[in-house]
Amino acid sequence: MASTDYVAGTDNPTDVDYTASTNDDATDTDDTAPQDPFLPSRIDRAVIAVVRVGVGLLWLQNLGWKIPPNFGQGDPPERLYLFTTYAVSHEVLHPYTWLVEHVVLPNFTIFAWIVLLVEASLGAFLTFGLATRFWALVGIAQTVVIMLTVLNAPNEWIWSYLLMLLVHAALFATAAGRYAGLDGVLRPEWQRSRSWLPRLLVRAS
Amino acid sequence: MKPWDPLDRAALVLGLISIASAVFVFASGGLEIVRVQVAGVVVALVLGLLSIAAGWLESPGLALAGGALFLLAAVVQLILLAGGSGGFLGGNTSTFSLWLGLGVGLIAIGMVPRPELAQEIPQE
Repeated sequence: MASTDYVAGTDNPTDVDYTASTNDDATDTDDTAPQDPFLPSRIDRAVIAVVRVGVGLLWLQNLGWKIPPNFGQGDPPERLYLFTTYAVSHEVLHPYTWLVEHVVLPNFTIFAWIVLLVEASLGAFLTFGLATRFWALVGIAQTVVIMLTVLNAPNEWIWSYLLMLLVHAALFATAAGRYAGLDGVLRPEWQRSRSWLPRLLVRAS
Repeated sequence: MKPWDPLDRAALVLGLISIASAVFVFASGGLEIVRVQVAGVVVALVLGLLSIAAGWLESPGLALAGGALFLLAAVVQLILLAGGSGGFLGGNTSTFSLWLGLGVGLIAIGMVPRPELAQEIPQE
């Protein structure tokens, strides 16, 4: 891949205009839409935008019970601290349980702040569609962490975590921030730039 | 009708979202996606109007200012939460996340070079 000399994103396979060959059976195609290989239909784009905003709001709303400064440490333990202890009391994967017991719980406040900042960023950037493909990958990683922590905990519906994984995979695969998101507005400008940050954001969007 | 530049339209929409978020002052329980109390409503309305002005006046500078103020509000909210309560802003971590997104979004919009604006500067 000739990644050193592109200006308008032409080295990126996702920038190739496939719309001409995929529009034939899409009756509601928007001819004024930017060239895009994924979703030529206006309805498809609207649905993916709704899914992205919905997932972003899911992260954003669920941040509300992760409350600093102690994040539920105390007697009895509650909220984030209680859920983290489930990785030990209801083991899913032994090496992860060992990590939580010997590294995370003794330094819980640091890890809780990391969780807070990661999930706040997931909520912020997925809701507004900024660097969406990158944050979709982060969402997959964070979902795996949550799965390894609470999958065997009481009253958990394990398939909900599979749903979370799959919906983030869909946001990544469809580059969902390009539809009614900031990526869609800013990406053409980033593609025109030769600076490192816009080039990085082209990759992330 | 005015043909909006996509960047200005985006700033305008972010401002509208901020103003719309003030409605959560009436929400509770599961519908409370973000916690907004009186001071939070002021932040949402004032900075929302600033963002709308940035889009309406096609001003990257205003978008940058709005974004910086949203980030400042987010950081202050987080510091207040770290102190053990929502403080005078009365928000929660979800509020922090919302203002983080609005702030970074507006700054990203404001940082885009506008060649058409540069061309309007009279040459001497």
